[in-house]
Amino acid sequence: MVVNVRNLVKRYGDLLAIDHLSFSIKEGEIFGLLGPNGSGKTTAINCILSLLKYDKGEIEIFGQPMRPDAYDIKRNIGIVMQNVAVYDELTVYQNIDYFCGLYVSDKGTRKKLVKEAIDFVGLGEFTKFYPKKLSGGLLRRLNIACGIAHKPRLIILDEPTVAVDPQSRNRILEGILELNRQGATIIYTSHYMDEVEQICSRIMIIDKGREIATGTKDELKAMISLGEKITVESYSITENQISEIGNLPGVTSVEYKNNILKIKSGKGTNNLETILDYIRKENIHFGRIYSEMPTLNDVFLEITGKELRD
Amino acid sequence: MFMHVFTYRLKCLLRDYQSIFWTLLFPLIMATFFNMAFSNLNSAEAFNPINVAVVNNEEYLQDGSFKTALEKASTGDGRLFNLSVVSAEEADQMLRDNIIDGYIIAGRPIKLVVSKSGLNQNIIKSFIDNYIHTVSVFGTILSKAPGKLQDLLNDINNRVNYVKEVSTTSAEPDNIILYFYSLIAMSCFYGGFLGMREVSDIQANISPVAARINTAPVHKLKTYLYSSAASIIIHLAEMYILLAYLIFILKVDFGSKTAYVLLTTFIGSIAGFSFGAFISALVKKSEGLKVGIIISVTMLCCFLAGMMNQDMKYVISKNAPVLSYLNPVNLLTDAFYSLYYYDTYTRFFTNIVMLAAFIAVFCSGTYLIIRRRKYASL
Amino acid sequence: MQVFKLCLKILYKNKGLMLIYIVIFLAISIIMSLTAANDSPTDALFNPVKTTIAFISEDDTPLINGFKEELARVADFADIPDETEALQDALFFRQVSCILRIPAGFTAEFMNGGNARLEKMSIPNSVKNVHIDLFIDNYFNTAGIYVQNMDGITQQELVTYLKKDLSGTASVEMKTNGKKTSNLTFLNYFFNYFAYSLLSIIILGMSTLTLIFNDRDLKMRNNCSPVSSNSMSMQFILASLAFTFISWLIMVILCLLVKSGSGFSVNTVFLIISSFVFAFCCSGISFLIGNLVKSRDAITAVTNVVALGMSFISGVFVPQEFIGSSVLKIASFTPAYWYVKANNTIAGLNAFTFDAIKPVLYDLLIVIGFGLAFFSVSLAVRKRNRSFA
Repeated sequence: MVVNVRNLVKRYGDLLAIDHLSFSIKEGEIFGLLGPNGSGKTTAINCILSLLKYDKGEIEIFGQPMRPDAYDIKRNIGIVMQNVAVYDELTVYQNIDYFCGLYVSDKGTRKKLVKEAIDFVGLGEFTKFYPKKLSGGLLRRLNIACGIAHKPRLIILDEPTVAVDPQSRNRILEGILELNRQGATIIYTSHYMDEVEQICSRIMIIDKGREIATGTKDELKAMISLGEKITVESYSITENQISEIGNLPGVTSVEYKNNILKIKSGKGTNNLETILDYIRKENIHFGRIYSEMPTLNDVFLEITGKELRD
Repeated sequence: MFMHVFTYRLKCLLRDYQSIFWTLLFPLIMATFFNMAFSNLNSAEAFNPINVAVVNNEEYLQDGSFKTALEKASTGDGRLFNLSVVSAEEADQMLRDNIIDGYIIAGRPIKLVVSKSGLNQNIIKSFIDNYIHTVSVFGTILSKAPGKLQDLLNDINNRVNYVKEVSTTSAEPDNIILYFYSLIAMSCFYGGFLGMREVSDIQANISPVAARINTAPVHKLKTYLYSSAASIIIHLAEMYILLAYLIFILKVDFGSKTAYVLLTTFIGSIAGFSFGAFISALVKKSEGLKVGIIISVTMLCCFLAGMMNQDMKYVISKNAPVLSYLNPVNLLTDAFYSLYYYDTYTRFFTNIVMLAAFIAVFCSGTYLIIRRRKYASL
Repeated sequence: MQVFKLCLKILYKNKGLMLIYIVIFLAISIIMSLTAANDSPTDALFNPVKTTIAFISEDDTPLINGFKEELARVADFADIPDETEALQDALFFRQVSCILRIPAGFTAEFMNGGNARLEKMSIPNSVKNVHIDLFIDNYFNTAGIYVQNMDGITQQELVTYLKKDLSGTASVEMKTNGKKTSNLTFLNYFFNYFAYSLLSIIILGMSTLTLIFNDRDLKMRNNCSPVSSNSMSMQFILASLAFTFISWLIMVILCLLVKSGSGFSVNTVFLIISSFVFAFCCSGISFLIGNLVKSRDAITAVTNVVALGMSFISGVFVPQEFIGSSVLKIASFTPAYWYVKANNTIAGLNAFTFDAIKPVLYDLLIVIGFGLAFFSVSLAVRKRNRSFA
């Protein structure tokens, strides 16, 4: 167990920000913390890092209880915060060197590490730039470099791709996978479910400080009744036909709006076939037809009744 | 770790050109202005004859000796008065129009009419008083020893100086130097802004960089001290540049105890820095509010220490002496002044010790507040 | 008028800070003016307040005793022991304004017509000592005449004669035409200090606004809006003027409250008008500074240089009469110089004919000119800043 959180409770005045949260993270995992805005992701992270006071709960990292002065633990943690935390008065190189130097005192080692970090995030052409001159994406890359230069065992990234261009974004996600391949355990918080789906090995969905569901992608999707979503483009379907489709085996709900027919089915392999049979039988003209697997958004929607992205 | 944090902080601070430039330049400019404003105070002024009128009434025309005395004082290049002989109504009008500073009505006693009691008016009065005294003296002497008139007239013009100005100490007590000391004290306390920034940069609930530092395996207070060392060095450098400018270019005399002056500046710099840090730690709100409080308190302290008006210092020390000891700017100014003025060091060290006490209070207060490891909210 | 309303909102939100500035600078101004008015070198001379001195005599003779008795008319004696440190302290803390020491043998030498001198240690440039100086000078010179011209005169006789001679004095009538002079002196100083206090408040206050609006992203967003840059500038200027006016009003009202009831003369009205004109100029200065200086630290330094520096050379803290002429020439390139000059003239006015007021009007026109110049330069700077590198 790299991280072990038990019964974490945090209040801001009357507001219960974290509600008896418990989870643990194994070494080598990429653990995703997914939830809508204001669900308590950043709060949880800050509690884990011992930056925030919490009311109840125990937090252990690398098997030791986490405290603000647990320097040996901190030495092995890297953090990439939501707000870009760099010095405006230092260049890209100087910023990375400075923060790395708080972890690694040997100059020779550090020089190597800094160079590797710069290459890793792809800021080689910008080493002498000042943060004010960097675009949003490059700034985020710098933020990351400052957090991982010292090659920590545990890396925590809090919404690292906000306001980032697609090229930088992909690079960041690739980079995280690479870091994981090199042996780091990763905690990744986001409200972008496609990213979380893409890279995380295990995911915890939280809302209002409470755990909604935890598991791998497939485990989460297995939790819900939704098996498949089928969408049909058609200009002429009668009310009768809609309700008949709704009564087909496996179909849980039907919706027809703007000439689009949306059908939700339970688990099973024949859902699409059943529907196609019916449509052909009724001679319904259709344009495009496609089927999707449930997403994490669907998981969230079904459990909480809300969307992940509002 | 020390060199690492220290050198990077130094780089950060030096990079902020505008701040460094202005915080260095402003005391230099102020010192130059002071110098310009005061350069004349100690030197003699060219004297301009005073505009006076005398009413041409009966008494005046008949009082030969007064008329002679007045006319004599109103002729020649080094004359005291520009005299006009006019009627009573004209004199009154001239007074109201500020053409003359006052007018005289001869008689017994001689009368002077003015509209305010300024320096010139006082000079006119002194002249008249002198005349009255002289008349009395002549009267007494001539009644006892007639025939001495000629000798008397000679003696009247030979005024002797009976006073020797002596200085009590190695240096002349000098009002102007106090202004410069106050300026140095004020510049020391403007180092408070640097202190303010140090504290902000280490408080995770104020700046994101601080949050990053708080998660690093470094002791927070040690980082704060190392970083502050860089700030203080920069501030000291600025202060010593100011001192050099004062001593070598403006030729302000600091007495002969240069080493102590440097020491005092050092302590003053730390006092100002720790004051700013303390306020920054205390006031948790916006940066604007912190800056406002630092400026206001510093200016108030400077004012009470006599920077804008010398007398303030003495009004306070007479009426509320406790305040003068509670005012760190005043302690600093006094430390400088006692170096300059006294031969012994008792007063100087008293001030230094009190300043050190202030520094201790500010530092421990700051320490207690920032040592908090976890925050209620970020 | 969106920009204008926003400015007012921001200023209102920071009202705590503004109030701190206003209160502190106002307190400083009022206390300064009170002390200056009471201690005014000019007002005190006709009615001399007895100054405290230390009198140490090593010569115990009737002449000296007679001298001391006469001296008691203009001075109080403090009991300071004849030790160096005690004496130094007494001067340092202004417990006494000077220390008179009569050396041994003074009287004998004096009565013989020799060059006797008494020793005086004093605070330099102290107006309080002027009376002492004059008194000593008068007493001993007059005594000297006696000694020269009346052979064999005894000390007792000398003392008696001197007492009679020196008691005569001119009778003084003060025609003030209903002006309350001491109140006027206070107001004169107070409004002169506006050059420092009001200016500082306005620059610092406006800086909260300009620092916000000069933020790069906000500036860019604002520049994209359909509000023309001229309109935005005008709204800023309006906000600046509004803030200035309110601060000015508060300062003036509080000041009058402090000095209420003791005569509201025409001079006072003119002083208020003059300060209003100067407030307009302050607005211009602060607007220019806000557009030129971007960093917060720099603003505080600049505030001090401009407000304090300008005040010093323009005769706010040290009266204009005492400042060298070359310095005044330089100061005349700043608005504060003309403002202070106008105020001093107003305070001295006895009549308010057009001729009398003319110099004041000229001075104030120059101040307005400065204000307009500052605003125009600011607008030019803003135009230049619209597109970035």
